[in-house]
Amino acid sequence: MGEKINAFITVMLLSVFILIFTAADVTEEDKVFSETENRLLASRPEFSVESLVRGSFTQDYETYVTDQFVSRDKWISIKTRMDVLLQKQEIGGVYLGRDGYLLEQHLPESYPQATIEKRLELLERLVEDWNADVMLVPTADNILTDKLPGNAPYFQQRVFLEEAEKRVGREHYVDAFSALKEHSREEIYYRTDHHWTSLGAYYGYLAWADFTGERSYPYDTDAMVLASTDFLGTLHSKINLEWESDSIYYFGETAEMPVTVTYDLQKTAHSLYEESYLNTKNKYGFFLDDNHALVEINTGNQTGKTLFIIKDSYANCFVPLLLPHYDTVYMLDLRYYNGRLYQLLEQYATEADILVLYNCIHFLEDFVYA
Amino acid sequence: MVFSSVLFLFRFLPVFFICYYVAPGRMKNFILLLGSLFFYAWGEPVYVLLMLFSTLSDYVHGRLIEKYRGGGRAKLFLVSSVLINLLVLCFFKYADFLIQTVNVLFGTSIPPLNLPLPIGISFYTFQTMSYTIDVYRGEAEVQRNLLDFGVFVTMFPQLIAGPIVKYRDVEERLHNRSVDICTVSCGMKRFCVGLAKKVLIANNIGELWSEISGMNLGEISALTAWLGILAFAFQIYFDFSGYSDMAIGLGKMMGFYFPENFNYPYISASVTEFWRRWHISLGSWFREYVYIPLGGNRKGLPRQLVNIFIVWMLTGIWHGAGWNFLLWGLWFAFFLSLEKLFLGKILSGLPRAAGILYNSLLVLVGWVLFALETPEQIWGYLKAMAGAGGVLDSQGLYLGRQYIVLFALAAVAATPLFTRLVKQLEHSGTGLGIGVYRLGEKVIPVILLILAVAGIVDASYNPFLYFRF
Repeated sequence: MGEKINAFITVMLLSVFILIFTAADVTEEDKVFSETENRLLASRPEFSVESLVRGSFTQDYETYVTDQFVSRDKWISIKTRMDVLLQKQEIGGVYLGRDGYLLEQHLPESYPQATIEKRLELLERLVEDWNADVMLVPTADNILTDKLPGNAPYFQQRVFLEEAEKRVGREHYVDAFSALKEHSREEIYYRTDHHWTSLGAYYGYLAWADFTGERSYPYDTDAMVLASTDFLGTLHSKINLEWESDSIYYFGETAEMPVTVTYDLQKTAHSLYEESYLNTKNKYGFFLDDNHALVEINTGNQTGKTLFIIKDSYANCFVPLLLPHYDTVYMLDLRYYNGRLYQLLEQYATEADILVLYNCIHFLEDFVYA
Repeated sequence: MVFSSVLFLFRFLPVFFICYYVAPGRMKNFILLLGSLFFYAWGEPVYVLLMLFSTLSDYVHGRLIEKYRGGGRAKLFLVSSVLINLLVLCFFKYADFLIQTVNVLFGTSIPPLNLPLPIGISFYTFQTMSYTIDVYRGEAEVQRNLLDFGVFVTMFPQLIAGPIVKYRDVEERLHNRSVDICTVSCGMKRFCVGLAKKVLIANNIGELWSEISGMNLGEISALTAWLGILAFAFQIYFDFSGYSDMAIGLGKMMGFYFPENFNYPYISASVTEFWRRWHISLGSWFREYVYIPLGGNRKGLPRQLVNIFIVWMLTGIWHGAGWNFLLWGLWFAFFLSLEKLFLGKILSGLPRAAGILYNSLLVLVGWVLFALETPEQIWGYLKAMAGAGGVLDSQGLYLGRQYIVLFALAAVAATPLFTRLVKQLEHSGTGLGIGVYRLGEKVIPVILLILAVAGIVDASYNPFLYFRF
């Protein structure tokens, strides 16, 4: 008798588990987008006899059911916790580094010589055509090497940067790598996000000033302004574990300069900073209103100089520091711009200084010149 | 459809079993047949017709053999049944392999057919052959009921990855079976354990193998190479035995008792022992329908060795149409023969640990032949294992560090330790021991199921390894 009751309890536990989640899953409405995974989820495939015979219907349907499974995020976080328990130091392309640092994984084999060659050729042409300067910023894994898990593989950006310097010429190359490496013990990268911090950008700025011979503006690193204390960035989203949050600081001096910012030739603002982002997940968007194809900043500085910067999001906390040196700054993000760069430069930049500012990874993945 | 999917666990499984348990006695087989056809057609919407053809063919052949029993025609129908099965198998599984071989040997350029292999074809053709052969031999009754016979062939639990169920294993239960709550509970627990083996161990450790096998083999260190092949060894064992556990569990939930398929193969102290513990249902099939009819060990040692080579070449090629699988079979045939000749005696005189080491080494090298396809890859990998690319490097150390806990877990789970512990608790006779057992048998399957579902939903890596079988 006892045997049967025991068996009954086991059967009930397992059946109820399956049935409850089946019912919950069937009744739940479909989602379009997963915030934590940052991707579109599969939607219900259309049935046709042809797709059934081909086998694609059933495959798509399985993807759809898996993507839309009830409390997907919770399941994924259980799996992540399992990986942590198994003492894994890399989850979903993110290294769980020392001292609470999450570092994006960039494997050497993801950046073969052919890719490097292709991007550098384009860069070389741009520099020749427009007398542009180049500032390629290393990502955190290359600077905070002591935070990486032991023996963790990473793409050596120093080698790539030496090649880049050779190709564009020393007179066009701003050495951000050495500048950051010198300060690798300071808070120059976020712990939970792939960007550099305002302090990191400041050291980049000093390297730029040193390169151009401009006198650097006396920003006070001890008087930086705190914008947020609960920033959990893109790298944290990928692992979604309990984690200590980052603080976002910016240089107060940059907020006091009178500016007019025009986003994509439409929206204008009178600040470099958009406070509204601090209430969302995407807090880095605080700097220059997140991503736009073209941003125009007018300072009214009377320097007689214009800067045209071809950039990724690393520039968003960096550009404010450059403003004392220019009347107008144009920022172009190629990922959001569909036209030809050459034409745009002819229109805006025949008289301007031109700067290419990317982190090495975005440069190798996104940079184009046509 | 595979067991380790949201679709199976949260759509097929509940709907099927509700229908199955609600249906009255005679209807159960009908539900099982319908469910199985849906299950198969989901992954093979076209080849389901091939399976039905196979079913019908062997059903008719069985009846004809029965009708002409004792006469020469019975034998004719047996031969025709086996031939049809083998032709179907050869056409869909080996045609391109033969064409390519002919092209290489004779310099011809016959175009390959490029037919996708019907999932599970090697499993169900072997099952149906066992039926007609057993009917001919008089070891099984002929099945007059097409529905019952259809259920035998198409039954979804073991359809796509075994175990290979012989007809007489389930003959009785096809038309007369009952389940009680204890068997259902047993089956469910077994299913959860199998699912966990597949999703939590095999999939996770398989990721390491897939990473390492994708590397430039000329550059990897011995450490990395050994980690890789060890990972594959654990992956295929936990994947395959996990599938068998799930099949056996699902069978029990309906009152079927399928044969065991794995018995801790990695604790074997000789290759002979390994093959008694690995993929048992396939081994016993070949033993019964090939090895013994060829004379087995009754016609002298030379003949026995020939028989061993034949059986293990077939075993090898059964796992996939490729020269590497043939080589894999021959590799074992060679050492089985040595063990028959003299090595077995030597091994039995050594401590068991030495035998385990010997067997593990041979099995691991075997997996290199099994898992890699071209001679260059196989040779490159073996060289890497021997240290041609250095012994230690930071890559190997890093990967080892990432997987060390999983390796330890897999190694323990590959021994009978857990099972023994459970048995000890169950029969401990003390209140505490039994209390722990009672609690564990309820909580652990639920936890395993939850963790497995998490692994499935995350689904970064969830391969089906038997698409070539």
